[in-house]
Amino acid sequence: MDSVIEVRHLTKRYKDVLALDDVGFDIQRDTIYGFLGRNGAGKTTAMSILTAQNLPTSGQVRVFGEDPYENAGVLSRMCFVRESQKYPDDATPRHALASARLFFPRWDQDLADDLVEEFQLPLKRTIKKLSRGQLSAVGVIIGLASRAEITFFDEPYLGLDAVARQIFYDRLLTDYAEHPRTVLLSSHLIDEVSNLIERVLVIDAGRIIMDESTEDARAGATNVVGDAAAVERALHGREVIHRESLGRVTSVTFLGRLDDGERAALAADGLDLAPVSLQQLIVRLTQQRTAGRDAFAPASQEGSLR
Amino acid sequence: MTTLESGSVTRPAAVRNRTRNVVRLQFVNTQTFVWVPALVLAGAWVLTMLIYWMLHSAGISEVKTGGGSQAPLWYFLVVGIQAMTLTFPFSQALSLTRREFYLGSLAAAAVSGLGMSLLFTLLGLIEQATDGYGMNGYFAYLGWVWEAGPLAAGLTYFVLTMLFFIIGFWSATIYKRYGTAMLTIVLIGIGLALVGLVALVTWQQAWPEVGRWIVDTGSLGLTLWAILVSALLAAGSYLTLRRMPA
Amino acid sequence: MIDDGKPLFVQIAEQVEDSIVDGSLAEETQAPSTTELAAFHRINPATAAKGVNMLVDKGVLYKRRGIGMFVAAGARDLLLTERRRAFALRYVQPLLVEARRIGLGPDDVANLIRAGAEPATP
Repeated sequence: MDSVIEVRHLTKRYKDVLALDDVGFDIQRDTIYGFLGRNGAGKTTAMSILTAQNLPTSGQVRVFGEDPYENAGVLSRMCFVRESQKYPDDATPRHALASARLFFPRWDQDLADDLVEEFQLPLKRTIKKLSRGQLSAVGVIIGLASRAEITFFDEPYLGLDAVARQIFYDRLLTDYAEHPRTVLLSSHLIDEVSNLIERVLVIDAGRIIMDESTEDARAGATNVVGDAAAVERALHGREVIHRESLGRVTSVTFLGRLDDGERAALAADGLDLAPVSLQQLIVRLTQQRTAGRDAFAPASQEGSLR
Repeated sequence: MTTLESGSVTRPAAVRNRTRNVVRLQFVNTQTFVWVPALVLAGAWVLTMLIYWMLHSAGISEVKTGGGSQAPLWYFLVVGIQAMTLTFPFSQALSLTRREFYLGSLAAAAVSGLGMSLLFTLLGLIEQATDGYGMNGYFAYLGWVWEAGPLAAGLTYFVLTMLFFIIGFWSATIYKRYGTAMLTIVLIGIGLALVGLVALVTWQQAWPEVGRWIVDTGSLGLTLWAILVSALLAAGSYLTLRRMPA
Repeated sequence: MIDDGKPLFVQIAEQVEDSIVDGSLAEETQAPSTTELAAFHRINPATAAKGVNMLVDKGVLYKRRGIGMFVAAGARDLLLTERRRAFALRYVQPLLVEARRIGLGPDDVANLIRAGAEPATP
């Protein structure tokens, strides 16, 4: 696999807060990534540094093999759609799209026009007066129509209703199929995007805690429900990431794969096996880590970043 | 494991044109750089004319001058601030480098400032030819500014627009990078330095020399000094901008 | 429609297989493309491609250069054999587990099945 982004030992410190803590990962070409994690986990900081909108405290970032900082050749091949993008004061969506067209070499005006219609975006109203959803639509349209070789969407759907989000997902998939490119999609709506993404990159408290294919991630955890004693027998020392009990019934989520034989054995033991959705898995993993941290540092810094 | 490809696939011409496109970016919304400054100048001109006309009809026939033509300069201060606080984050969303954005924005301000100076010079020439619209009232043709001719007057006006734009841009970079407290401290510092200079001059009883120097230097000479100040602030803004998060 | 129990690409492959088994997708006709599958199921094209490749490896689909994917001759028989073999494990075993839990013996189950099939038989 060839990577378009390489990150090594990346650290970003804001005064007393460590937003990124010695992070390293690669991003493969023409792949849709889910870049997931809680608020303040470091997603926006990481994407800002990758697009040279922010500077690392230490560590190395390579995009298309080069340092992106002040590098027009590299930057022009990327597009970063921010959740809280600022626009010039009296600009309208028309101005914003006309500007984007000037700088993205692979810009597709027909696609932009289509999307404007689909999102019913009022082109002549000033951006200040747009609703939250319409504001998001401006970013989404720029992100899709730019056809940049690497596109970052940071929570692109704020204020978009279910219908508009579906338009976004559908357009992203169809356009990606015709024009493969690398996409990093940061989202809280993990279940909504889990079928779109080929790989998951999960960041928690400034560290990467998961970097694998969506399929492996999903298969990597199972939920087993049944009689407490039988459940304990079934675990075989596997790593438990969540446990709930109601009377004699216990529900346990554990990491690790089961082969068909093991599945059959558990079923014969009267245990119910249920798949773990990506969202559940990530919530469990980040909760577990937060709990672990809290044991040492009661004052959690979640949400205090940015 | 990885084959990294260099950035050579991009069309170099497209990259080269990006700075020029920043000028177009700033002019996409013609309001900011064209219509508002023109309107401010026209408004100030109309008001000044009305006042001159009232004075003229009241029988006051001596030379009337006013400071109305400086009004657009203050607007350029605001444009400078907005170019930094609002257009800069947007330029980052368009994947521009800081250098491209900065040079392009300065060029856009220069294009706009050039237009304004042209209007200013034209008005001055008209006033010169018509003896102040026949009312002996001058809006643009201000003796001291024009003593070295229309070209020098135009240059002075142009440099002042750029200076105001750069001051706005510069103060916004300080504000964005280091916060309100730092901007206040810097401004107070500059204020103190100026007061100190005044105190020094007063102390040394050097005001006559200073006055003579100003007269000797003339508006053209002072304009050259303004260019130096602009250049220093412009360089300072760029250095701050280079390391600034969007 | 998409259940979480199996990998997504397996589910996609099984849905194509369903169409072949029930005859709606005849042998030697063109199968849906990766892009079509991805758009229809709203999934990543790479996942759809993985499902399609699985069917190619199995000999259910084959590629005609420049045209697309086609259903192989004999694909339906292949799938029927495979599914009949898996039937006991997939359906009968869980049935018996639940039957045991609620106190039904294999004969009771067999009777129930016969009764359930009654209206359909002439």
